[in-house]
Amino acid sequence: MSEEKKSTAPTVDMKKLRQERNESITGAREKMKVQNKVIKALKEALSKEAKTIPELADIMGMQTDAVLMYVSTLKRYGIIGEGPKDGDYFKYELTE
Amino acid sequence: MKVKRDLQFDAIVIGGGIAGLQSALDLGDQGYKVAVVDKDATIGGKMIRLSKVFPTLDCASCITTPKMSSAAHHENITLFTYCTLGALDREKPDQVVAQLRQEPRYVDPEKCIGCRKCEYGCPVYVEDDEQGGFNMRKAIYIPFSNAIPQLPVLDVENCSLCGKCAKVCPTDAIRYDMEPEDFTITAKTAVLATGFELSPMEQKPQYGLAKLQNVVSSMQMERLLAPHGPYNRVLRPSDGKEPDSIAYVQCAGSRDESLGIPYCSRVCCMYAIKQAMLLSGALPLADITIYYMDIRAFGKGYEQFYQNAKAMGIEFVKAKVAKITQGDNQTARLRYEDQEGNGGVMEREHDLVILSLGMVPQWDPAGICSVNCGQDGFIQSILPKIAPTVTNIDGVYTAGVAAGPKDIVDTITEAGAAAMEAANYIKGLT
Repeated sequence: MSEEKKSTAPTVDMKKLRQERNESITGAREKMKVQNKVIKALKEALSKEAKTIPELADIMGMQTDAVLMYVSTLKRYGIIGEGPKDGDYFKYELTE
Repeated sequence: MKVKRDLQFDAIVIGGGIAGLQSALDLGDQGYKVAVVDKDATIGGKMIRLSKVFPTLDCASCITTPKMSSAAHHENITLFTYCTLGALDREKPDQVVAQLRQEPRYVDPEKCIGCRKCEYGCPVYVEDDEQGGFNMRKAIYIPFSNAIPQLPVLDVENCSLCGKCAKVCPTDAIRYDMEPEDFTITAKTAVLATGFELSPMEQKPQYGLAKLQNVVSSMQMERLLAPHGPYNRVLRPSDGKEPDSIAYVQCAGSRDESLGIPYCSRVCCMYAIKQAMLLSGALPLADITIYYMDIRAFGKGYEQFYQNAKAMGIEFVKAKVAKITQGDNQTARLRYEDQEGNGGVMEREHDLVILSLGMVPQWDPAGICSVNCGQDGFIQSILPKIAPTVTNIDGVYTAGVAAGPKDIVDTITEAGAAAMEAANYIKGLT
């Protein structure tokens, strides 16, 4: 039977903190929404076969530099891996 | 805001880069109690962010990490990272007083075990300056894998306060309500090793004001070349293409009156040659060109390093690049006067262009410390020939690029000299 983790951290008034940091929290949430959409689209695009950055950009309707930014980030966190080379470009694939 | 404590040390070193660490280690090894203060969340300065060093092509991290680790584990050295210096001045012959602020990491350093579960659990991605802005980190993050201390920082501006980091933390180390803490360090002597930053990419309209695709700074190129860089290989940032043609534009941020930087930054020729050699190893088929005004290879082994680069096939074109514009197929187009060939105005396109930017001071002491600076903004020595680390304040010394542009070899030598001056000063007090 799993036991729920008991927090030893001091109690924080999260409601008050959320009010104080409302602007940055709203900005971060909006950013997160956009990011989640892009990551979902990226995973879908790579679900069947490995693709290069220009190929992904074509499918996703995004600029190539923005796609590369996401691909390299997900590679950093182990979600995407580098595949074989295709001409001047590398292909990328899902690791999960 | 909580008022912290008054701490006593023999010496305070401002800056935890290679100069500050070397000074601290030299003082600590002599038995003096040393405080090292850094504004960053980790020590290591610029050197830990480099790929390799010239002219030996040793791994920069392999040299810097042991020094960082030695300082962190030294019984006489205490590190104060993520701290802002509010004031530093001599109050008595045996008292330099520094007013400091510990910026909040929003993580309890006593509880955190550096497991990075918070980072992996965080759902917000933020552009990572540590990786040249080429990929993203999380809103809570450890700056890089060999950062010291291994403590994360919560970037409040990008935190959604979703609570995931606190939920996954096995030691309950997250403190969303952490506040800055002011404290004072009193020491007998101080070493200012505040380092440098690169001149801004945005300063020269002729070079595209940092808006051109595939025109990057030399520090960004260091990250592209580093084994733990953003792509783990050298790729064109605009589309991930492996570049066929790469160019360096020398004196892009130095020796230029129009930028207010008339001096030579002393390291750009050699770091460009170093990067070009690393590139020719990483991309053997790529054409690599260095556009230069003069090559300044003054240090031990530097001229041979330059000759080796030429022998490897790196092309050196004597020209001051007048203008960079966007070329076809995401290339950058360079316009220059051919000084050694047939003459005339030439244009060439490259997949990737690196601006060899110059060094400007990282720290402006105005309003913080009464140390004198020269017209160039670097800390001025009052005995530049016979004791270059001595400043206008008794018992306050300077080392490394804080005192003017220099390479790593000279920086380490000067840091040792500053430590020796500081030790002599302490001895003179008794």
